[in-house]
Amino acid sequence: MTTLGITINGRAYGPMEVRDELTMNDFLREMLGMTGTKFGCGAAQCLSCAVIIDNPDGTSYTSPTCIVPAASFDGKAIRTVEGHAKNGELSVLQKAFIDHFAFQCGYCTPGFLNEGQVLLERLAKTPVARAELEATIAEALDGHICRCTGYIKYHEAVRDVILADPKRYLV
Amino acid sequence: MESGMRVRTLVAAVALTTSMLTGYAASQTSANKLASPESFGAIGDADARSAAIFTELGKVLTHPRCVNCHPAGDRPHQANEGRLHQPPVERGADGRGLPAMRCSVCHQNANFDPGRVPGHPEWHLAPREMAWEGKTIGEICVQIKDPARNGGRRPEDLIHHIGEDTLVGWAWAPGYGRAPAPGTQKEAGALVEAWVKSGAICPVN
Repeated sequence: MTTLGITINGRAYGPMEVRDELTMNDFLREMLGMTGTKFGCGAAQCLSCAVIIDNPDGTSYTSPTCIVPAASFDGKAIRTVEGHAKNGELSVLQKAFIDHFAFQCGYCTPGFLNEGQVLLERLAKTPVARAELEATIAEALDGHICRCTGYIKYHEAVRDVILADPKRYLV
Repeated sequence: MESGMRVRTLVAAVALTTSMLTGYAASQTSANKLASPESFGAIGDADARSAAIFTELGKVLTHPRCVNCHPAGDRPHQANEGRLHQPPVERGADGRGLPAMRCSVCHQNANFDPGRVPGHPEWHLAPREMAWEGKTIGEICVQIKDPARNGGRRPEDLIHHIGEDTLVGWAWAPGYGRAPAPGTQKEAGALVEAWVKSGAICPVN
């Protein structure tokens, strides 16, 4: 058993004892009932299980949860798909996903949403040129697998959010 | 001219003999074990003995546990068959992954068998110049002696690196579903030491 204390979507959980072999995905879904984070391939290859990890310096990155021990998240602050909407209001990116009909079954959506959000926050700190935008989005979303709608609608949704506020995201 | 021919013939004969002895020595132990340095004592020629010892060590160096992270390209390999790493990842500038996909995101401080993920605090790829993939044991031997391609190490430094480095040691405790490297790390270290002290002679192939 290992002690785990973690902040999820701004709320502190623990410290609590968790089994050493418990994955982060099972911790979220089975222990906390936060089923928005999906279990897909179980091998970190589809990234439907990805969550956002917030570093103390204000930067963020995504991490799969299906192959990673829950205990390794001790002391970290993370965001899951449940944390994007505020007071019942969907985030800008969530609305863009809906507007573009970016998903059908929705199983991969939490991963794409988290990855897209990390990209938006990164561009807000370090904007890129318009000419680099398509490649930047493609690179950011690379690795996330969708079996329904294809990838272009996610790509277009992220792009539209950025182009709607070019002073914030582009140089 | 005649003398030159003699020398070349002698060199070829020594090389052939070394090669044969090397093959003989390496075949005396099963693939998952390592022969001791002492077991090569029957080889009278010192250079041939040194080369044979390295050939035995080559069972470790060419094992998937080692080669998978000494790839020729920018992507690590994985599993016992040495397939390309899935998910697709690349070495990045420092051998620890791209900024958006660092090795440590998945590879924790220790193996995590429930997720089938190996781990170590220093998990990273060997530098590109230290690639072993697709090379013969003889080629690896020449490379491992070259400071430009071995991380600036002297042959003596390899005794510690292979015999005691804990990331190298992971190869003998790789976790569920992965075949460990042959023998033990201590045995591999003993072979390196014997090879270095016997002149660090490389096998011809």
